[in-house]
Amino acid sequence: MEPRYVIGIDLGTTNSALSYVEYQPDADPFALPKVEQLGIPQLVNPAEVREEGLLPSFLYVPGTTDFPAGSTALPWDAQPDVVVGRLAQKRGAENAGRLVSSAKSWLSHGGVDRTAPILPFRAPEGVPRFSPVEASRRYLEHLRRAWDSGMPDAPFIDQQVLVTVPASFDAVARELTLKAAEQAGYGNITLLEEPQAAFYAWIERHPDWRERVHVGDLILVVDIGGGTTDFTLIAVTQKGGELALDRVAVGEHLLLGGDNIDLALARIVADQLTQKGSKIDTLQLQALWNNCRTAKEKLLEPGSKKDEEPVTILGKGTGVVGGTIKARLQRADLEKLLLDGFLPAVSSHDMPARQRRTGLQELGLPYAADAAMTRHMARFLRQQASSAEQGGVRRGPSGLACPTHVLFNGGVLNARLIRERLLGVLNSWLGEEGLPPVQPLSGEDLMRAVSRGAAYYGLARRGRGVRIHGGVPRTYYVGIETAMPSVPGLPAPLKALTVVPFGMEEGTDLRIPNREFGLVVGEPAEFRFFTSAVRKNDQAGHLIEDYGDDLQELAPMEVNLPAQQDAADIVPVSFETVVTETGMLQLWCVARDGRRWKLEFNVRERVEG
Amino acid sequence: MSRILLAFRTFFAILFGRTLPPEASSLSPRPRVPPSPAPTPAAPPPPSPAYALQLLAILQRDARLLDFLMEDIASYEDDQIGAAVRSLHDQARDALTRYLSLQPVIDGVEGAYTRSAAGDPAAVKFIGNVPAGKPEGGVLRHKGWRAAKVDLPALNPKQDASIIAPAEIEIE
Repeated sequence: MEPRYVIGIDLGTTNSALSYVEYQPDADPFALPKVEQLGIPQLVNPAEVREEGLLPSFLYVPGTTDFPAGSTALPWDAQPDVVVGRLAQKRGAENAGRLVSSAKSWLSHGGVDRTAPILPFRAPEGVPRFSPVEASRRYLEHLRRAWDSGMPDAPFIDQQVLVTVPASFDAVARELTLKAAEQAGYGNITLLEEPQAAFYAWIERHPDWRERVHVGDLILVVDIGGGTTDFTLIAVTQKGGELALDRVAVGEHLLLGGDNIDLALARIVADQLTQKGSKIDTLQLQALWNNCRTAKEKLLEPGSKKDEEPVTILGKGTGVVGGTIKARLQRADLEKLLLDGFLPAVSSHDMPARQRRTGLQELGLPYAADAAMTRHMARFLRQQASSAEQGGVRRGPSGLACPTHVLFNGGVLNARLIRERLLGVLNSWLGEEGLPPVQPLSGEDLMRAVSRGAAYYGLARRGRGVRIHGGVPRTYYVGIETAMPSVPGLPAPLKALTVVPFGMEEGTDLRIPNREFGLVVGEPAEFRFFTSAVRKNDQAGHLIEDYGDDLQELAPMEVNLPAQQDAADIVPVSFETVVTETGMLQLWCVARDGRRWKLEFNVRERVEG
Repeated sequence: MSRILLAFRTFFAILFGRTLPPEASSLSPRPRVPPSPAPTPAAPPPPSPAYALQLLAILQRDARLLDFLMEDIASYEDDQIGAAVRSLHDQARDALTRYLSLQPVIDGVEGAYTRSAAGDPAAVKFIGNVPAGKPEGGVLRHKGWRAAKVDLPALNPKQDASIIAPAEIEIE
């Protein structure tokens, strides 16, 4: 059946949203498509289901003492085993041991087995746990059920669905997202990178966008959400006389966002309280964290002239007034923290501090070691310098990638102070390169742009509207051990064979030339798998030595050739790479007689290794 | 059926104690039914306390209203009370507007002359030098409040409505 709607889903670290647009085959191609937001019914209190625009990406695993019987019923499920959304977030603040949060960050964390039940990470013994994939599945499933209950005439399964992922998600994280969507009952889905979606949302709001950007322009998308920061570069090029958009670079996945700012503020206020003699406990710190967020937003509101904003922690027992702890968030403290801590005015040569690698690290999410977002931005633009000419990247004399426009996305960037600081820092770098300042592209709802843009992109795929050409945002390699006499205590040096070149387009495939491997039949063969967002000029089949820190190892790839009676023990195979229409990366082993086996990510092995 | 035939059938039916033909009963004079006493309006069932308590429970949950009202605040400095109230006030208003959509009864400017439209004393109250008849209008002193929409969640019949706020026990 022909889909009637295009559905865009922003599966966020802290909030998820669903936008949709009706597909009208005979609509005026220049008319603005009407993208709408679905209200998502969810539990907001026990026994209270309400529609909200966003679904907080939280999952709570209720025990017998958590909620009265029957009070977690949803319109589509009388007795769900978990609670998802606003109530999960609320109750989780009171009992963190049963709360799954930031499942998306775990999904992109290579240091753990992402298909194993590990969340809630600090759950006490006896609490059922869920894998990051399963938790994501629950959010996606909730959105599907919400759609089906709100739009009974257009079943979700029949619609075209786009799910957004961070541009920095590697192939494993993308595949796991896809798997979660399939398990959530999604049929027809495509993955889309979030910064691209944010840019589509801007195009959707500006039908005259062709007059606003020009060939040769370079657009920096800065996306700072609750938990993550992402940078992307989109170049405006020309193809066949038409303006075209190329996504030319994506940054690394940074676990750094608005929550870090709010927590830092709560710590500042808590310190001031301790100096005055009032100690606060963990639960109160949680309340303080929330109140600091509100106070921060009030101080950062346009036109706010206040020097301070009261932050109160209400008394815990029935003595609400007597137990109230008064504190104030000073504007000076807030500005100092933002401008010196998170957004220092650094030079474009200033790189973020590296993570200190200690022998024993507590398992958990790999938070960014350096909180300075501007340094991460410097590194991102610098990295483009070290790679040789890639179509359409505008550069300054020092090689720094120099954007002409900036598009902001994510709730943190609602604050003008933060936007202006980022622009100021960027402009100082451009000034050093002798270039004029950037122009901000504005006018977006920063919280909902991604899902809106995704829905718009769905239309673009069907011929209405412009499409950003991206291709694979990274280069991928398979590790090959060099044939050398082994040295005790040292692993054989590893070379990296390029199997997926940067920018390989959707819907194409290629055979890696000149290299065959003997695969043993009947037992699993494993390949070490590497990626790089920095090396952009390695061609398929190139063998790389001495790659230093440029390459990051991913989960290994595994292939298992079934034994056949008449077959030889060892089958010579070569690699073939396929990038599907939906942007998924596939690696195949192809035998000389044309038989093919798909390589699968082995997420489990990595953890043991 | 002709009336003569009916007269005969009725005559014999009465003579032998049989039931009258239906046509006859419609012609015969109505039997006199003793007037039943006018039904006294059934006493309205006592209002369920559950709904009143529900709103109170919401205001307690979201804005600690009960804690605040029941606390003896006489001994606290205005400063301390002010700090708590500022936060309670925000939360209470959020909670109220989430469940009730509140509108003025008369959407006018307080202190300005307003023509009085409604004759319902529950909706409009006249104060001051009120004439004998219905006044034409007067100075609007209070706009009044009307709950234009009430959107409270359904009550769970299995739940004890008398619990307004649960006790909290922290495991350390």
